[in-house]
Amino acid sequence: MIEVFNLSRFYQMGHVTVRALNGVTFTIKKGQFIGITGASGSGKSTLLHLLGLLDRQTEGTIKIGGVDVSTLSDHERTLYRLKKLGYVFQDYALVPELTVEENVFLTSIVRGMKQTEYMQRTDEILKRIGLFDRKTHKQSELSGGQQQRVSIARAIVNGPEILYADEPCANLDSESSKTVLDLFKQINQEMGQTIVMVSHEDWHLQYFDRVITLRDGGIIRDGIP
Amino acid sequence: MNTNGYKTSFFLASRSIMRGSRGSLYLTVLIIAMVFINMIFMPSIIMGFIKTYEDQFIAYDIGNILVSPKTDDQYIEDIDGLIERLNSVPGVFRAAGHYSTGATLRYKGNTLGTTINAIKPNDERLVTNIHKRIKDGDYLGEGETGQIIMGIQVSGHRDKAEDMGPTLGYVSSGDSVTVDFTNGVSRELRIKGIIETGSYTTDQGVYITWDEMESVLGHPITEGSYVIIKTDPGVHEDTVKTQIYRFGIAEKVQTWEDILKEAMGRAIADFAMLNSITIIVSLIIAVVILFIVIMIKTLSSRRQIGVLKAIGLDKGIIVFNYVFQVLIMTTLGIILGIIVLEAMVAILTAYPFQFSDGSVTPVVTTADLVNNTVLLYGAGFFAGYIPAWRVASEDIMTAMRA
Repeated sequence: MIEVFNLSRFYQMGHVTVRALNGVTFTIKKGQFIGITGASGSGKSTLLHLLGLLDRQTEGTIKIGGVDVSTLSDHERTLYRLKKLGYVFQDYALVPELTVEENVFLTSIVRGMKQTEYMQRTDEILKRIGLFDRKTHKQSELSGGQQQRVSIARAIVNGPEILYADEPCANLDSESSKTVLDLFKQINQEMGQTIVMVSHEDWHLQYFDRVITLRDGGIIRDGIP
Repeated sequence: MNTNGYKTSFFLASRSIMRGSRGSLYLTVLIIAMVFINMIFMPSIIMGFIKTYEDQFIAYDIGNILVSPKTDDQYIEDIDGLIERLNSVPGVFRAAGHYSTGATLRYKGNTLGTTINAIKPNDERLVTNIHKRIKDGDYLGEGETGQIIMGIQVSGHRDKAEDMGPTLGYVSSGDSVTVDFTNGVSRELRIKGIIETGSYTTDQGVYITWDEMESVLGHPITEGSYVIIKTDPGVHEDTVKTQIYRFGIAEKVQTWEDILKEAMGRAIADFAMLNSITIIVSLIIAVVILFIVIMIKTLSSRRQIGVLKAIGLDKGIIVFNYVFQVLIMTTLGIILGIIVLEAMVAILTAYPFQFSDGSVTPVVTTADLVNNTVLLYGAGFFAGYIPAWRVASEDIMTAMRA
């Protein structure tokens, strides 16, 4: 499903070239729950940003479903992200002026979905994540764990091909983290959702089907946790 | 950007307005309202001033149309014949002839040089409204002799401080003044009435009857200085002017607009420029304030903008989110501005500004409201678009790291 070949991302810091990601190659199959781990500065977030078409690689190619997405224009990448990818960010990144349900169905409006359809989908997703009774609440009225669950609902509401999560439990206590990770696992198993998650917590590894470990921009381990 | 994009932008904008900072919203709307009022109020006073002048000019000075001697002629020949022909022109309600001559008025040691107008009161009543503005005494009667009426700026006020120029030092109806005409004839005339219109020019007028003037000159008057005409209600003066020429009248015919354009053209152009400067300054203030508001909003939402782009929202959707916010705030500001403006106009209509040339009420036309609304929307669009576009143009990673 995802084919990454010789992927590199270099940054220029004055006269110094920082090799954040240095020629990584791997593939991800549909329906896998992948963990990307590594120490701080190992390049895991850089890799996720490249896979999620949020950043452009310096070298190499990324193919998703056989399409070389690394050559898409900015506009095409935006449409691709809208239609095929979902994101969960460390700090939830909800729109504070929107209610829970509005945050969830926001991208459905952009996609031109009918109101009855996206309201129905939103309700279904919110029931699934256990926040249906909170759908008219605002971000400020939710706990961190609840906010992250809303963020997950927003990411999966349109049925993306791949769900990317960048350290989604970094701001949560362990109980909330467990709830969120359970939810990811549930989505992966029940919906067959492909998930790529960056994490630096060892106890998260038990949730992943496969773990890619990075160090200094290269893969040092790729296999079952 | 497609329709769904605009729908999303409006959705985000409306929620941001409804659920964002109330204080900031109220303040911005208030500022826009003040800018809108500033754009309209000052010009409306100037327009009110011009309107007052025009109304007074028509009501007390020349009616709707003035017929004056041909170039190089001092008088109109056969004025009675001309008036008869003018009265038969379609659209003419009534024509009234004037014969003007210089004279010196004397009263208890005060001497005042002036122009005396001989009128036929019955005709004059149908053309001007001076007869309705007699403050003290009565208007002239047809065929009366030995009587004179004069404006309050000639008679003088009881309180000299109210006099705007030299006067006879306060005379009132029933008093007699000595009038020395330029042909050497001197008459004692009884003041029949004092005119007070609020128009400085009109209140400097002095009138006697046609018969009195004939008596002074010692022969019937067949010529006149000018003819003033009142047109039928609802008839445009230009149409009547054309009709007058079609009737073969060779004298100079001018509508009140023609005369004011000649006399006040420069002043009106200056007023127009003053209005334009007021509007431009107001628009600059509006643009700067909205620009700052949106700049602060976008800069404090850089990460959120990055996230919105990350989840698939096009740059245009984000830009128009802010543009719609500005347009909504502009709409609220304009509505508030119109309410305040209407209230101010109502109050100033009840209690008008008092100027030397009369009471002035603000004149706000629908065209003023529409034009200024369009200008403010244009400024708002510009002020919202530029800062939003700048921040939304950042690449996702830069914005998300902000």
